[in-house]
Amino acid sequence: MSILENAELENELRKIASYIVTLRREIAVLQANEMHMKKIPAAGQELAAVVNSTEGATNEIMAIAENVLSADASDPAAYKEFVDKEMMALFETCAFQDLTGQRISRVVKTLEHIEARVSRFATYTGVEDDPEYASEQEAVEIARRRELLLHGPSIADDGNTQPMIDKLLATFRNP
Amino acid sequence: MAADIGMPILVVDDYKTMIRIIRNLLKQLGFEDVDEAADGKEALGKLRGKKYGLVISDWNMEPMTGYELLREVRADPSLSRTPFIMVTAESKTENVVAAKKAGVNNYIVKPFNAATLKNKIDSVFTA
Repeated sequence: MSILENAELENELRKIASYIVTLRREIAVLQANEMHMKKIPAAGQELAAVVNSTEGATNEIMAIAENVLSADASDPAAYKEFVDKEMMALFETCAFQDLTGQRISRVVKTLEHIEARVSRFATYTGVEDDPEYASEQEAVEIARRRELLLHGPSIADDGNTQPMIDKLLATFRNP
Repeated sequence: MAADIGMPILVVDDYKTMIRIIRNLLKQLGFEDVDEAADGKEALGKLRGKKYGLVISDWNMEPMTGYELLREVRADPSLSRTPFIMVTAESKTENVVAAKKAGVNNYIVKPFNAATLKNKIDSVFTA
């Protein structure tokens, strides 16, 4: 090997070593373990709590409505007293919104934290996305959602309103 | 022809809360005979065991979706004429078009109110 080739090889190795050092630093900054062990599970717990509390509150509100609808109204004074009491319970139940709002704020902060770390990692390492990559399980789920048109609730103007759907259905009746 | 108040109605949704909401709204509209199923597969079993006057189904359920249930119902000669209303958060045009092509009688997007439910049930039975 010539001196020139040796120098080139040494230069390449220096670049690789430098890249490895950068990569190690960026992996550390990514805090993948903290994300995996703490932040993502905590966000999952927050969302589960939101689902539970909204479900619980909805059931309580419906129970109040059912009680009022089925109450005996033959004695107006007693009926009013009963309805007033149920309405107070309804106001109390609506307090769940404050707690769910706080929980969702924490989840949003976690997502912002992850986004910032992953974005920095991608920038510093120069890694490009592989748009075709999906795990076997993800690929099955993606295919199912595509085949069965499973999009979930729309955001903002992404979907149709009821009047738009009615108009669309009418085009089938009167082509 | 107006909807028969006494007809059995099958409500299909994987959320108990939504079933309770629809059941209460139907009760307010006068429909008392309401059964429930948690997904398309369970609904299909109930439909094959009892004659229902109307199916009100969600779209997004596991393991069988409401869209698959609709196609199964329309493909079964003994069930194919059962009125079917989709009540779903799926509001994209391709969903509405696919449901209509599969034979849905009406389509309600969530969230909805009692007036919309009444209006859609009425229009199914007066069409």
